[in-house]
Amino acid sequence: MTKTIAKTVLSLNLNGVVRDDVIPDNLLLVDYLREKASLTGTKIGCDGGECGACTVLIDGRPRHACLTLAATCQDSEIETIDGLSRDSRLTALQRGFNEKLGAQCGFCTPGMIMASEALLRRIPNPSETDIRDALAANICRCTGYVKIIEAVQFAAQALTEGEPAA
Amino acid sequence: MNETSPAQSIGVPKPLVDGPEKTTGKAMFAADFQTAETLVGRILRSPVAHANIIAMDIAKAEALPGVHAVVTEADCSDSYGVLPIAMNEWALARGRVRYRGEPVAAVAAIDVATAQRALDLIEVTYEELPAYFTAEAARAEGAVLLHDDKPGNIERDAEFDLGDVDAELAAADLVREIDVNCAEVCQVQMEPHAAFAEYDGARERLTIRPSTQVPFYVHKMLARTMGMAEGHIRVIKPHIGGGFGSRTETLQSDLIAGLLARKARATVKVVLSREETFITHRGRPESRIKMKVGMKADGTITAVDFTVQQRGGAYSGYGIVTILYSGSMIYGLYNIVSARFQGVRVLTNTPPCGAFRGHGTVKTRFAFEGLIDDMARELGLDPFAVRRANLLVAPTMTENDLLVNSYGLDQCLDWVENASGWKSRKGKLAPNKGLGMACSHYISGASKPKHWTGEPHATIHLRVDWDASITLLTGAAEIGQGSSTVMAQCVAETLGVDMGRINVISSDSALTPKDNGSYSSRVTFMVGNASIDAAQNLKARLVEAAARKLEIPAADVECLGEVYRGGQQDQGLTFEEVVMEALSGEGTITVKGNYDTIPESWGGRKYRGAAIGGTMAFSYAAQVVEVTVDPHTAEITVDKVWVAHDCGKALNPLAVEGQVQGSVWMGMGQAMSEETAFHEGLPLAANMLDYRVPTIIESPPIEVGIIEAADPHGPFGAKEAGEGSLSGFLPALTNAVADAMGVRAAELPLTPDRLLELLEKKVREDAATSGRNRGAA
Amino acid sequence: MELLSELKLHHPISVEDAVSLHAAAPTGRYLAGGSDLLVNVRRGIEQPGSLVYLDNIAELQSITDAPDQITIGAGVTLRELANSALVHEHFAAVAQAAGEVAGPSHREYGTLGGNLCLDTRCVFYNQSEWWRAANNYCLKSRGDICHVAPGGKKCFAAFSGDVAPALLLFDAEVELAGPSGRRRMALAELYRNDGMDHLTLETGELLVAVHVAKPSVPVTSAYAKSRVRGSIDFPLAGVALRMAMRDGRIAELRVGLTGVSPLPFLAGKLDKFIGRAPDQACLEDLRDAIRSQAKAMKTTVTPPHYRRRVAGALTLKLAQSLAQDLVEASS
Repeated sequence: MTKTIAKTVLSLNLNGVVRDDVIPDNLLLVDYLREKASLTGTKIGCDGGECGACTVLIDGRPRHACLTLAATCQDSEIETIDGLSRDSRLTALQRGFNEKLGAQCGFCTPGMIMASEALLRRIPNPSETDIRDALAANICRCTGYVKIIEAVQFAAQALTEGEPAA
Repeated sequence: MNETSPAQSIGVPKPLVDGPEKTTGKAMFAADFQTAETLVGRILRSPVAHANIIAMDIAKAEALPGVHAVVTEADCSDSYGVLPIAMNEWALARGRVRYRGEPVAAVAAIDVATAQRALDLIEVTYEELPAYFTAEAARAEGAVLLHDDKPGNIERDAEFDLGDVDAELAAADLVREIDVNCAEVCQVQMEPHAAFAEYDGARERLTIRPSTQVPFYVHKMLARTMGMAEGHIRVIKPHIGGGFGSRTETLQSDLIAGLLARKARATVKVVLSREETFITHRGRPESRIKMKVGMKADGTITAVDFTVQQRGGAYSGYGIVTILYSGSMIYGLYNIVSARFQGVRVLTNTPPCGAFRGHGTVKTRFAFEGLIDDMARELGLDPFAVRRANLLVAPTMTENDLLVNSYGLDQCLDWVENASGWKSRKGKLAPNKGLGMACSHYISGASKPKHWTGEPHATIHLRVDWDASITLLTGAAEIGQGSSTVMAQCVAETLGVDMGRINVISSDSALTPKDNGSYSSRVTFMVGNASIDAAQNLKARLVEAAARKLEIPAADVECLGEVYRGGQQDQGLTFEEVVMEALSGEGTITVKGNYDTIPESWGGRKYRGAAIGGTMAFSYAAQVVEVTVDPHTAEITVDKVWVAHDCGKALNPLAVEGQVQGSVWMGMGQAMSEETAFHEGLPLAANMLDYRVPTIIESPPIEVGIIEAADPHGPFGAKEAGEGSLSGFLPALTNAVADAMGVRAAELPLTPDRLLELLEKKVREDAATSGRNRGAA
Repeated sequence: MELLSELKLHHPISVEDAVSLHAAAPTGRYLAGGSDLLVNVRRGIEQPGSLVYLDNIAELQSITDAPDQITIGAGVTLRELANSALVHEHFAAVAQAAGEVAGPSHREYGTLGGNLCLDTRCVFYNQSEWWRAANNYCLKSRGDICHVAPGGKKCFAAFSGDVAPALLLFDAEVELAGPSGRRRMALAELYRNDGMDHLTLETGELLVAVHVAKPSVPVTSAYAKSRVRGSIDFPLAGVALRMAMRDGRIAELRVGLTGVSPLPFLAGKLDKFIGRAPDQACLEDLRDAIRSQAKAMKTTVTPPHYRRRVAGALTLKLAQSLAQDLVEASS
C-alpha cells in the first residue's frame, strides 16, 4: 500500500456495545460487521441488494449492510442477529423460526429475522399481508416462505400474549 | 415408575436439532471462518467461450508484494469429475477453455485488493475456437469438438425400446404429440460457494471446510487433484446454506482453495461472488422433449415414445446420469409397459450442468403430464380419471425393472381432489381462473452407488460414555434439509430415549464414518436405516448390561427407554445406571450400524444404463394448482396449491411439510420465472435480479397432505420427502393455465411475455376460425 | 470482503457545503441511500474518488406543505413518500410509485432524489467488471459498441425509476443547487433521450427538492408497474395515469411512462381521447396509442415486445379502474 487510504474513526453502538474503530471510507458495513467486529451472523448472499441476507437494523430500520458504507453509520445504533438474543435465551422470533421451521438451511434466516424484528416493533400484531410486505426484499430458497409466515405469526402471538420477549 | 414409557420421537413434529444456531447467527458457514492470517483466494476466469490456451505468464503476479501463491493447471496432478467414467474436468483449465468464466488461474494474497491486482497481472494468450451455445449448433456437421474423445459433441446417447411401442400406438384410440422446450435453471442456494482451507506445512496436511453436499467426493477429488494421500486430508463440513444439487459434485472452488493453501503453505479462504456461483452452475439443462402418447378411450395409456435433448454444458459432470434419468423415470409412476426413449446429452460452450433437485425427471414429467391432460380433455375424461386409469399395484417390477414395493399415489389423488374441492369447483370458476393437477414421483436414493467399492451404503457410529449421552457420528451431510434431526429421531425412537440425549456430529472425516453424501434423496432411507441398525446394536448391549445388573436373563429385560426393568413390579435401573454397568470393565461403548440396498432394487440390464432409476422405494405426489390469469398483462397469480406426498412414514411431519412446500415452490420458480440466459456464452442473468427466484409476494399458500404408504424396507416405513413433489408443479401450473385460458404452454418458464404471445395467438386463431365459420354460414 | 475503489467520504451538513465539497473533488459523486450507486461502485462501473454523503443535510429530509404546493426534499426516503398522507391526498400516483420501488428494505433508505436520478439500466451494462470486459464493454461505459443495437451510436439503456413518471403527471419542478447557485426547472427537463447521458444536471449539480403545485380540484391518479416478480424488480414498464371525467366523458388524461426508453416521459397525442366515453373501444384505442409510444429495446432479459405491449395493457387497466372510481364518486 503506497497510497494513504481515507479513513474514518467510526463510533457507533453495535448490539448495545459502544465501540470506536478506525476504518477505511470504502468499507461496507457488512464487511465491517463480519471482519472488523467478527460478527459473522450477518450473511452475504448476492453481489448487492438483491437477496436481503445482510439485513440489519440501523436505528431500528431494516437496511442492506451490503449497500451501506460503514462510515455513514457514525453515531448510529446497529442491531444484528448476533445481538438479538439476551442471556442466550431465544427471542420469540427466534423461537418461531426454530419451532415452526422457518429456518431450513439457515442462510437467509439472520436477514429474515431482522426484517421481521423491525416489522413486529412497528406492527405487533401483523396480518399475513403485513408480513409478506415486510419480508418482500428477503429471498429464501428453502421454505417457499410458508413456514416463515407461520414463524412470524407464532412470534407475534407469543409477544402479544405477554410472554417475555427474552 | 409404572407410567414410564419409551419417549416417542418418530411421527412427532420436531424442530431441527441445529435450529438454535441458525436462528441466533451462531451457525458457522464456510465463509464465516477467519483467522488473523487468512489469505484471500481469488480466481481468474476465462473471458472467452472456447479457446486454446497458447501461453500463460504468472511471473508478474507472483512477484507482486502480498501475493503468497499463484496456481494454474500445472499445480494439478489429475483431472476430476463426479462420475468415475467421465472425469474430464480440471480444477484450472488445462490447455483449453470451454466456457466463459472457466477458472484458469487463482491467487492467494494478503487482501482482496492485492489479490485482484495479481489477477490483473496474469497474462493469458488465447487462440479462439468456434463456440457453440445451443445443442443444435454443437451437433451440427463439422462442429469443432469440445473434447476429442466425444465425437459429434455428444456426451452420451441413451436409448431403450421396451414392450411393443409401434403396435401399442396403433392399438390406441387417441395418439397425440407434444414438443416442449424448458429453459436451463440454476439452484441459487442462498449461500454462495465458499471453502476455508488450512495447510499445515510442518506435517503436510490439509484441513478444509467446503460448502458441499458431498464431503466424501470432495475429499477424493482433493486427493486426486492435489496428488495427496487421502489420509493426509481432513474434510470438515461446516453449516451449509442449501444445495439443491449444485454441490453434489466437487466444485473447482473447493479444489482451488486446497491448491492455494498448499502452495501458500497457509490458510486460504475462497468465497465466490453470486455471479461466480451462477457461472459454477451445475443446474438443470435446457431440454427439448418430443413425446408421443397412445391412449385408449377409457384413459389407459398404451405406449409412450419420446426423445430428450439436453444442452449439458462444457464438461461431463453428472450428464450421463441426467440423460438416463430423463428416460428411465417415465416408469415407476403409472402402469406403463411399452415405451421408447432416445436421449442425447450434448456438450456446449456453456457452464456445466449438474444434478438439480428432481434430477433428470422434471422436464420429462412436464411434457408427459401436460400431454395426457390435453388427451383427457379430448376424450372427455377428468384429469383425475386418466391418472386413476393407469395406477400401479404394488409390489411390482416395472418394465425397465424398477422395484416398486409401496405405492400411495391413489391416496395422494384422493387427498388433493378432496382438499381442493376439485369435483365441485373444476369448470365452475370465474373467468380467467383455472385448476390444474399433475402427479410425480422420485427415488429414495440410487440403489447402486456411483463409486462401487463393496462398502455398505451407509454407516453410523454411536458412542456412549460415562456421561450417558449418546454421540451420533455420521458422514451424511446436513445441508439444511434436516438429516441430522432425522437420524437423531431414529436413534431416539429405537432406544426409547429423549432426543436431548443425542448429539449429532455430521461430516468430519477425522471423526465420522464415510458417507456418500446428501443427494438423490438417499439420506432418510439409507442413513435412517443405518441409524436404526446402530441403535438396535446399542440397545442389545444395554439390555445385556441391564440383565447382568438385574441378574435376570436378557430376554426378560423390559426396555422403557429411560428405564430398564425386569417386570412391572421392578423399580428397574435408570439409563445412567445401565450405561455405567455397560461401561464396566469395557470402557466407552462404540457401536455401528450399516445399511445396504437389496439386489432386486439395483435396476435392470435390459439396456445400457438401466441401473439409473433403480431405488429401494419411490415417493409419490399429486398436486392441484389454482391460478388467476390477468388477460391484459398475462401475469399469472398462483392462488393456492394443494399437494399430497406419499413419504411412507412422516418421521418428522414438520420437516416433511417444509420439504414438500419447498419442493413445490421451487417447481413454481422453474415453471414461472426462472431461467438462465446467455449472450455469446456470457451469462446475462448471473445475479438475483435477472435470475428471478420468487419473492414472498407471489408465493402461494401450499397446503400439504401427508400420505403414508409404508415401505417394507424404509426406516419405520419412510421414503423420501424432499424432491418428489417438485416436478408435478410445472405441469399442474400449465394445466391450470390451460383450464383458465385455453392455451397449452410448451415453453418454460411461462413468463408473462410467453403467455401473452400464446393468448394473442389464440385470439388470432379464434378470429380466423369464427371468420371461416361465418363464411361457411 | 468486497473490493471497492478507494474513496474519501464527506459528511456535509448543508447543501452549500455539499456542493463545494463536490466541486473540490471532480471525480466525486453525491451519495444518498446508495441502493443504486453502491451497486455500480461494487461492479466497478462507477469509480468515484470521493463521495459526498447527503443524509446529514436537514434541508433535504422533509416534506413541506404550503397552501398551493408541496415541497419534497430529495433526501426523503421512498418509504416516507409512500406513506405520506399528504402526498396520497393530492398525488396518489406519486405515493403509489414510491411504494412500488424495489423492496421494502430498499425503500427504507432509497431516496426520492436517488430514484429520480437513477442511472439508466441495460442487461449489457449492469454486469460485473469481468463480464463487461469480456464483452468489450459498451457505448455507455468504456466501449464503442452497443450490444442492444449493434452499429448504432445511441445508447438505449432504459430509465427505470418508478417515481418520475408519476411526478410528470403533475408538472413537478426540480430545484437544483450547483457551483453557480440554485435554479428550478421542470422535471421533464431533467431528462434527455440518451441512455449514456440521460440527466441534464450540470457538473456538480445536486437535486435538492421537488416542488409540486396542488391541483385546484382533486385529481385522480394512479401508478402501475409490470415486473415478473411481485417485489424487488425494476419495472419492465411503468405507467402513471391521471384522469378527470365530466358527464361520463374523459375531460383530462395524462400518461407518464418509465422503463421503456432512456427517459421517463409523458405520452403525447392523447387529445383525441378528450370527450370520449371510457368504453371498451376507447380503452383499447388508448392501449394501442401507448403501445406505439413505448419503444422498449432489448435492454432486459424480458423481450421488448412484451414491455411495449404491457405498457399499453397497464394503461388500459389503470384507465378502466380510474374511470370506474370517478363514475362511482360522481354518482
